[in-house]
Amino acid sequence: MRSSKQRKCSSSGRFLPSAVHSSYKQHLAAVSSLLPDRLSRRPLDLRLSNDLKNTFNVDALKTQPCTSGETGSLRDSSVPNFLSATSFRDDISSCPERLDLDRRGLTDLPDLQSLRELHQLNLQHNLITHLQHLQSLRSLLLLDLHGNRLIDMCGLSSLRCLRVLLLGNNRIQRISDVDGLTKLDVLDLHNNQICQIENISCLSRLRLLNLSGNRITRVENLQGLNSLTELNLRHNSITSVTDVEHLPRLQRLFLSANNISSVDALACLWDCGSLSELSLDGNPVCVESCFRQSVLRCCSPHLQLLDMKRITEEERRTASVSARKEDEKKKESHKQAAHKERRRLAIQNAAQQWEGLKANLELPAQNDTKEEVSPDNSPAHSPAQTNGNAQETSPDEPRRLSPLTVSAGGSDTRLRSNSRPNSPRDPRLQDGSSGSSVQSLSLSESHVAELDGDTLRLFGPGALETLERCWGVQTAASVSTIIFRFIHYDSIIPSFLRIRLKFPNLTHLVFMECSISQLLQLAALAQLRRLEQLTVHPEGNPLLRLTLWRTFSIYRLQQLNLHKINGTEVTVNDVIASERMFGALGHVAATETPRFRLLLLLEESRKRQLQFLMDGRGRRSGQSPEDLKENGRPMGDGVCRGLFNYPSRLTDSAEDSASDRSVSVQQYLQGLIQSASSRCVKADALQKIWPLLFSEIIRDSVLDMRDTHTYRHNSLQRLTHTH
Amino acid sequence: MQLRFTSVKNGNHVLFREFSYIKATPHNRESFIHIFWKCFRQIGKNGDLLAMSEYSSLLQLLCPDFPAEMVQNTARIVLIDDATDCLMSFSDFIYSFQIQFFYEEFVESISAIYQDLLSGKNPNTVIVPTSTSVEQLSSSANDKPDVQEGVDATIFCECIEGLCERFKHKYPSTVAIKEILDNTQRVSFYGFLMALAKHEGINQDIGALPNKPDLLIDPEMDQELERL
Repeated sequence: MRSSKQRKCSSSGRFLPSAVHSSYKQHLAAVSSLLPDRLSRRPLDLRLSNDLKNTFNVDALKTQPCTSGETGSLRDSSVPNFLSATSFRDDISSCPERLDLDRRGLTDLPDLQSLRELHQLNLQHNLITHLQHLQSLRSLLLLDLHGNRLIDMCGLSSLRCLRVLLLGNNRIQRISDVDGLTKLDVLDLHNNQICQIENISCLSRLRLLNLSGNRITRVENLQGLNSLTELNLRHNSITSVTDVEHLPRLQRLFLSANNISSVDALACLWDCGSLSELSLDGNPVCVESCFRQSVLRCCSPHLQLLDMKRITEEERRTASVSARKEDEKKKESHKQAAHKERRRLAIQNAAQQWEGLKANLELPAQNDTKEEVSPDNSPAHSPAQTNGNAQETSPDEPRRLSPLTVSAGGSDTRLRSNSRPNSPRDPRLQDGSSGSSVQSLSLSESHVAELDGDTLRLFGPGALETLERCWGVQTAASVSTIIFRFIHYDSIIPSFLRIRLKFPNLTHLVFMECSISQLLQLAALAQLRRLEQLTVHPEGNPLLRLTLWRTFSIYRLQQLNLHKINGTEVTVNDVIASERMFGALGHVAATETPRFRLLLLLEESRKRQLQFLMDGRGRRSGQSPEDLKENGRPMGDGVCRGLFNYPSRLTDSAEDSASDRSVSVQQYLQGLIQSASSRCVKADALQKIWPLLFSEIIRDSVLDMRDTHTYRHNSLQRLTHTH
Repeated sequence: MQLRFTSVKNGNHVLFREFSYIKATPHNRESFIHIFWKCFRQIGKNGDLLAMSEYSSLLQLLCPDFPAEMVQNTARIVLIDDATDCLMSFSDFIYSFQIQFFYEEFVESISAIYQDLLSGKNPNTVIVPTSTSVEQLSSSANDKPDVQEGVDATIFCECIEGLCERFKHKYPSTVAIKEILDNTQRVSFYGFLMALAKHEGINQDIGALPNKPDLLIDPEMDQELERL
């Protein structure tokens, strides 16, 4: 582009740099119209052939002193200079308002003090390095100094009427000294060395500002340019654009061939209400695919031309549609990323708490950690969220957990109580982002509960209460595997019954890091109706260090019909071996445990079973518990095994009542003992006295009966008296 | 009420009870050992060797809060204080367990005596405060090189007998103890306990377990298994 700017000199007189837009011409024309019409004097051509040169008065080369001490010096330069003193004077005299001194090899401005009425001064294509002698040109309207060697702009401030200032193709490094030029209409500083936009705030009438071909990096300091309609910043090194929104009349903005690398850097352009033409080609940002679309998405509706191409309605519409889609996608992925992060943190926290609890197991000061856990769960607990649903539950949604249902999939419906869930696999979920068929049921700082297809994963103790919620029938029926992690086994046990009722298709339970340490704990699994697979991970479950655990679980959980334990099949041999190992135990336990103990230990269902058996047998054939020993088997294997139950109730129930009870029990026993011992004593005493007593009784009766007659009489009398 | 007393008589009352109950009386202890044997003799039959933690878990099936230290002490007896992670056979374990559990207080006191003897203090001797005898005693204590294991059997026997005279808890018969200690010159603590465990007479005194050859016999269960 630069090359096109360097215009070769043509034979035509007026030289306008092509970098200036056509409208500039209009401007100039407008300004020139202020000047009185006159014959435009052609400047002498630079390329006259030598012949022609000779025709001219060679004497013209000799300088004659001008009227007012003209200091224009003639120098030997490659450019032939023609300065005819006479012509110069002619200029002055015939057109006092316009002076053409271009291409004369001038190195300094001529002293023009007398030209107070000068309106137009052309000094382009000279060798001027400094601006001088301009103080008196108070009526100057146009000053053309392009193509010189100016280093700075000092000396302009007195030109208070100036409308057009052309300073292109110089070596100006800073914009300065334009404070007085309040009427300036056009300022052309193209192809200089300006690094910064500054000091132009007072140019409130400026309509065209050309700063192309400089070294500007930031668009800034544009306040005060209230009339600016065109701003040309092509061919700079601009990376950031600011302040443009403060230009109320800006219609055309050219930012081609700069260093803008992202659409975000142009953010302030979108606030510009009057912008109708914008050029951005030649910037690194244009390489981006959909660059045009992203610009169209953000720009105001007033924009009509972008990079010289008209913007159609169609384009705009597609741009906005794709914009919305982009936004949604971004939001979605953000949400997912955030969700993943939270999930990860929650699992980490759960693991940490797990470690902490393990370490503190011996210390009674567990209360602190426990309290930590519960406040985490209750307030931070968020109700079920679904992927693909950008809804957040409103704060006035009741936070009670039971009425909330798990909505599996979910359209835009809010979570309402008692709403039926959709099918577990919503098609929308699956064509979402990768791996997002995981449905998060509950997520807080230290626990995660999620449903992944047919697997329900629970991390951390707080996750257990998702089991307490109402589950839709379909969703619950789809769950076939539950994985527990970082949850203490003892706290899972109370949920087994609930699990059994809720998930009819459950076939596999996995326990990771649940601190299962006793064989009896496995017995708690008997509460389930059926289970095909059981997996217990060795990490976090000390029980697996024992070799007997597998055998015991096969024995105790036989009624569950386990097929696989930790991945290995349960064969018939395994079953027999477990019978051999623990069968005696069960047998002994069933037959030898006193009846009342049995009733205490067995669960409700078995109690009834046993009760029936005991009573029935007792009634029918008067069998005593001893007889039952032989018939232990018919009582049901279940009973034998049922004796091995892990107490799910904590045994630290009220100790006060226990101590009261023991006191009263002791008293009762003491009473019993006393009465027993006193009876013993009495019996002993009786034993001792008995012989004497007996002999006395006999003696008495013998004495009575000695006189049989009187005896008979007395006895009869006694008899009649008693009646 | 009658049932309860019957069960006490039969020795069933200790099933599934808490440890403090089981420990309370010698009868309870003996019943518990007996029941343990009945339940798990099948394990021994297969020739399985189990580790201490596994025996502990089996005990916990019958008594949920059975302490692990007791099992650990038993393991020490079986393995002579070596590598308590080694596997033990059922018969070794149960006889040692019997001693450890039934005579728990006795074992503790003996351990204290043994430690005293090891460090040179003889609780039975009366120290006459004359310089020579004290020196003699201390020098005789220092004469014994550290490498030598255990203590002198006769001294140990005397101490134990002295203990038994004033002992309130159950202890093995002094006849048996004398028998054991008369056979050797020196005796180590766990060696002594092991000998106690193996002694037939003591076993019969306690009455919980049959003799060693009969330990694994269980005709009932064999019948059951054949049915399977």
